[in-house]
Amino acid sequence: MNSKKNVLWHLPLIIIGLVALLPVVFMISNSFKTLQESYQSILNLIPTKPTIDNYTTLNHQVNLIRLIWNTFFMATIVTLGKLLTGLLAAYAFRYFQFKHKSFIYLLFVATIFVPFTIVMIPNYLVIAKLNLLNSVIGVALPQLCDATGIMIFLKTMEKIPSSLFDSLKIDDIPNRRIFFNIVLPILRPSIISVGAMFFINSWNEYVWPTLILKDKGSFTLPLALQNYISSEGGTNFPLAMALSSIMIVLPLIIYLIFQRYILNSISNSGLK
Amino acid sequence: MSDNNATIELKEITKEFKSTKVIDQLNLKIAAGEFLVLLGPSGCGKSTTLRMIAGLESVSNGEVLIDGDDLNNKANDGHTIAMVFQDYALYPNMTVYQNLEYALKVHKVPKDERSLRLESILETLNLTKYKDRLPSELSGGQKQRVALGRGMAKKSKIFLLDEPLSNIDVQLREKARDEIQNLHDRNKQTIVYVTHDQLEAMALGDRIAVMNDGIIQMVDTPDNIYKNPTNLFVAKFIGTPQINILDVKYQDGYLLIANQRVVRVKQTANIEPNDYLLGIRPEHIKLSKESDEDLSIPAVVTKIVDYGRFTQLTLELDEKYTIKAVTKDINCNIGDTLYVRIEEQTSIIFDKDSQKNIYWDRV
Amino acid sequence: MHSNKKILPFLYLLPTGLLLTIFMIIPIIYTFYLSFFDWNLIAPTKDFVGMRNYVEVFTDPVNQKVLINTFFYIILLLILNFVIPYIISLIVKFFIKKMQGAYKIVFFIPSLFSLVVGAMIFSWILNPVSGPVAFLFRESGFVLPNWTNSGALAIVVLCLITNWKVFGYNFILLLTGLGSIPKNIIDATTIDRIPKWRMIWNIILPMNKSIAIYVLILTIVQGLQYVFTPTNVITTGGPYYGSSNVLYHTYLNAFVLYKTGNASALAITTFLIFLVLLYLEIKFVEGRSKYE
Repeated sequence: MNSKKNVLWHLPLIIIGLVALLPVVFMISNSFKTLQESYQSILNLIPTKPTIDNYTTLNHQVNLIRLIWNTFFMATIVTLGKLLTGLLAAYAFRYFQFKHKSFIYLLFVATIFVPFTIVMIPNYLVIAKLNLLNSVIGVALPQLCDATGIMIFLKTMEKIPSSLFDSLKIDDIPNRRIFFNIVLPILRPSIISVGAMFFINSWNEYVWPTLILKDKGSFTLPLALQNYISSEGGTNFPLAMALSSIMIVLPLIIYLIFQRYILNSISNSGLK
Repeated sequence: MSDNNATIELKEITKEFKSTKVIDQLNLKIAAGEFLVLLGPSGCGKSTTLRMIAGLESVSNGEVLIDGDDLNNKANDGHTIAMVFQDYALYPNMTVYQNLEYALKVHKVPKDERSLRLESILETLNLTKYKDRLPSELSGGQKQRVALGRGMAKKSKIFLLDEPLSNIDVQLREKARDEIQNLHDRNKQTIVYVTHDQLEAMALGDRIAVMNDGIIQMVDTPDNIYKNPTNLFVAKFIGTPQINILDVKYQDGYLLIANQRVVRVKQTANIEPNDYLLGIRPEHIKLSKESDEDLSIPAVVTKIVDYGRFTQLTLELDEKYTIKAVTKDINCNIGDTLYVRIEEQTSIIFDKDSQKNIYWDRV
Repeated sequence: MHSNKKILPFLYLLPTGLLLTIFMIIPIIYTFYLSFFDWNLIAPTKDFVGMRNYVEVFTDPVNQKVLINTFFYIILLLILNFVIPYIISLIVKFFIKKMQGAYKIVFFIPSLFSLVVGAMIFSWILNPVSGPVAFLFRESGFVLPNWTNSGALAIVVLCLITNWKVFGYNFILLLTGLGSIPKNIIDATTIDRIPKWRMIWNIILPMNKSIAIYVLILTIVQGLQYVFTPTNVITTGGPYYGSSNVLYHTYLNAFVLYKTGNASALAITTFLIFLVLLYLEIKFVEGRSKYE
């Protein structure tokens, strides 16, 4: 009686799990189908004649290496920048007393809720004026304005007892040393997971690249993929799915390695 | 079977967490209306035992019987068991009054009856003027009383308390202890009370079950547990300052410390010439300034702590043997030599291997 | 030395502060300024038009349509990305005993992928001609409507795509909130034999209020931003602005129609609405922090 009830509760969860995973499985399987097979045997999960034609075609049509490098480079810059600025700011909020601290903190955190449409016109104009259109720096700069790192790092730093910091102060250890020798090592798991999340977010970023990157040579993967999707029904889906499959490899690997850390740090909030 | 209380019986209870045995084949019978204290160091399994009685923890093996029946077969009205948690577990979004009322409301106790019961409880526990406050607005002692009140409101047959006093100030503890004592005197519920504090256990329990390593070491009245502990663990765990344990040798009717006769053994026959452990509580050590007895041994005072009510002395018999003694009337200074006498009827002899009290059968 | 101590914290805050000032605070002010002008993003001169852009936000029929769409979006996003994940997290926390970890891992996987990927997959899955759902419909004698021709249906599809991505993330946030409720409180209700649904309604939901409100506001604010990507990839707001919302319409005005003033006025209107939400967030969530 009890176990039957239990199984019933699992039913909606299993359905949701399928809805989450099946699209991905279909995507990967279709990327190994010919266009013809993708139309004929729609529900086939395993291609009858697996082919890597889609991938080779893709390689002829676009410069895959260039695309991956552009995306990777942008995501790396954004990740490192956000980690550094976020850690420094969180450290200031945790360990210093200064005027208007709470106001400044609220102001910082409030920016998480500012939608990009409010700042996109001026930011576009500034980046154009600085001649940074089509550049990695240009597309990275607006992405760096994200206070989620500060929020998560502050929450983690609050778990370090104040007495530890007090004793360092009594020993007259300079802040620079406390930051690098004590705080960063303690925060390592959190830095890894937040960094992983930042990287994945930036890897997938669509809005700013759309606005800033106009030249095909500077495109990132999401922009390239968009070119393979058209609403007129003329899309070559297996080709688009091959590109998508390439795109999800890195995030999946990162997730599988750091899965536990990532889920834990979401508990501390913030994946965009 | 009365309506106020119930018997509890634990039959061969075993509890495993990930193949580690936390409780090992535990047997315990608690009479209806009894106040039983589960006492032991942290991690000994006492809280787990309590949670198994409450039905919060499943048993890996064995049975928990309430009035001879499984808890799950009882009416589903929460009337059987009430429990007070160590951190009180008050519902933070409800006021004091709502906390007390909630279970009754859910189980459809009529409103008049509810308010009658709660008014009297609030009165008894001195909570009337806090009844509209939220738990976050109360002090530790007040929260503890609300938790107690929430348990009382249910008028359950069994009342379980899990270290209810460990989070409140020492000064308030005695008063809270009295409240729990009065509660039992008045309502005669069956109470199982978990604590690691031996003074609490001695003051409250009709019987005390001393636990260690998932095993009940001894169940008896506070008096017996103190005077005649079954084994070395119980002897050491109960009593402050701690019981003195000395290496002794039995020979020709006498116990010897460093080849010097100290106790004449008369009361037990089954003792063989061998090494033993002699246990003697500090207050049972007789001290004098003169060597007036046969078996008294000289000792040098090395430390004196004056507690006001009594003085605790640390004495060195020789380099190997140090004992603690308490005295009210002897004035001495560090370096003085006193004469120590140990009497058989107040001392305990433990087997060196099994650590069992070989006087256990002594009347 | 003394003045050094005073400056030090601001040195640590400088990088973030600089970025936020240049790319967030000044832009907000500048957008506000632009909202009073008629401009096309390129011309050297701007014409001051006073409140006209704001009047148009509420009087222009296309804008009105977009505002109504936005409202529809919010309702749908709340149900899909807040109510359902909340119910599911309650089930996982209180009604099942095993597999919690597995569900967490699986539900979260879609969050790893770009919404462009999501848009691509779902435009295949729901493709009215060649997609698997259309196929299944045909097999069982139904016809999958061509949702790209209907604004309302397109909105539903766009919301479903974001739901696919955000579900696991919101689910984990809400589950964490539920997990932080002390076990003893739940034990206390077990002892009192409180039925589960009453426990959830009377104790769990009130106790989990602050994180729920956080997720609720996140759902509205970030949900609309998430919708931007599939909208731009699949429908570009069509048919006839039928699937557009305030955020997408702002983009359209700014970078496709080059009506910078109208775009700015729309953006500022959105901002004001979000400020109200932000106030609620601060009141309920950040209010608990000691940085009040």
